[in-house]
Amino acid sequence: MRRFGADIYVANLIGVAEVREMAPIMTAIVMSGRTGSAYAAQIATMQGTEELDALQVIGIPVDDYLILPRVTALSIMMPLLNLYAAALGIFGGFCVAISMLNLSAAVFVTQMQDAVTIPEVLFGIVKSFAFGAWVAISSCRIGLRAGRSTNDVGHAATTASVHGIVGVIMIDAIFAGCANALGI
Amino acid sequence: MSAAAIKPKIRVRDLTVSYAATLIQRGVSFDVKEGSIFAVMGASGSGKSMILRAMTGLLRPTAGSVCYGDLDYWTSSDTQREQIGRDFGVLFQGGALWSSMSAAENVALPLQMFTKLAVPSIDALVQVKLSLVGLQSGRDDMPSHLSGGMRQRVGLARALALDPQILFLDEPSAGLDPTSARRFDDLIRDIRDGFGATIVMVSHELPSLFDICDDGVFLDAGKRTAIAHGAPRELRDHSSDPAVLAFMTRAIPIAPTPAPPGDAHGPR
Repeated sequence: MRRFGADIYVANLIGVAEVREMAPIMTAIVMSGRTGSAYAAQIATMQGTEELDALQVIGIPVDDYLILPRVTALSIMMPLLNLYAAALGIFGGFCVAISMLNLSAAVFVTQMQDAVTIPEVLFGIVKSFAFGAWVAISSCRIGLRAGRSTNDVGHAATTASVHGIVGVIMIDAIFAGCANALGI
Repeated sequence: MSAAAIKPKIRVRDLTVSYAATLIQRGVSFDVKEGSIFAVMGASGSGKSMILRAMTGLLRPTAGSVCYGDLDYWTSSDTQREQIGRDFGVLFQGGALWSSMSAAENVALPLQMFTKLAVPSIDALVQVKLSLVGLQSGRDDMPSHLSGGMRQRVGLARALALDPQILFLDEPSAGLDPTSARRFDDLIRDIRDGFGATIVMVSHELPSLFDICDDGVFLDAGKRTAIAHGAPRELRDHSSDPAVLAFMTRAIPIAPTPAPPGDAHGPR
């Protein structure tokens, strides 16, 4: 940016990139590796120890009791984590900009306010919500379909992580296509 | 009313169960009388647990029927099935306790889900159920901190939570030391005598089978069907089937002696 005399736009770049892309995607990838695989492993373990059978035979719906709370929790938490990640990312960019690019704090904040609008933030939040729902649903589904051996638990955890990340990238591409078509 | 006129509590007819494409058991039929302790016997891998799963609604049989009263479980509507299932209590092998809940919470969950009792009443009931199975301490312990015997007892307390008419026990004394196994057998008999519950028990523990079971069916792994019906003691004393006798007397089936090297005529 310095080469083109556009140092000042670093703030815009950081703001838009963090809020729209980096924060939602990075959060979703981390959550897929951590929480998605944990969901799959937990449910697969319950399969192996007959805990799911115990729920089923008593008449407690597994979907309502095990799956829905997990999907709801991750769908709600992912946008919040996205905001947290975006805030941290912007703060990191702010530190670099004022220490290495000689931008003043006031200029950075002004540029940031111009670049990061409410629709941009909402776009990131909606995307995060979709990522959260996808990671939770796919992980739980993989856990429910796992076999009953210990080996299956590890396999379910790995598969959930991979499916989660691949799904997140595909959903992001769909969002990018939609945003481009709608001019958002 | 004559004994023959009394309707059995459970009627299993021509039950065939498979796992994936593998046939496990075919054409299994038996009746379970009300208030009896019925044993599903057989060697490891004979499909005892699969029959139990088909009886409790966890595995759809390939063919045959499982009737509770006049209702065939597998052809009933979802509502009827739910109604039938409300009369079940199932103790799984190893207890199958929900690992994220304490012993007391495991017993309380069915009460929370299916009764409108207030929290103090549920707590009191949980205490009653845990005392009933002889668990005086450890109610707040997590399943991972309980011994095998204690887990089985909590599992039984959970199975009894909703006062079921029929109890299904999958290998209830497997993995327990002889004294604990004996105590558990006494507990099962007490539950039958005290509550009039009908108990279906899958086991290959001979002392338990001889001690507490009134009736049973013997499943053969090789023929993949039921080959004998009757009380375990009767089968031990009167059965003429070599497979049943070998199982009941812990005899090792005699295999033909291999021919010594160079002897073309084989054993004499």
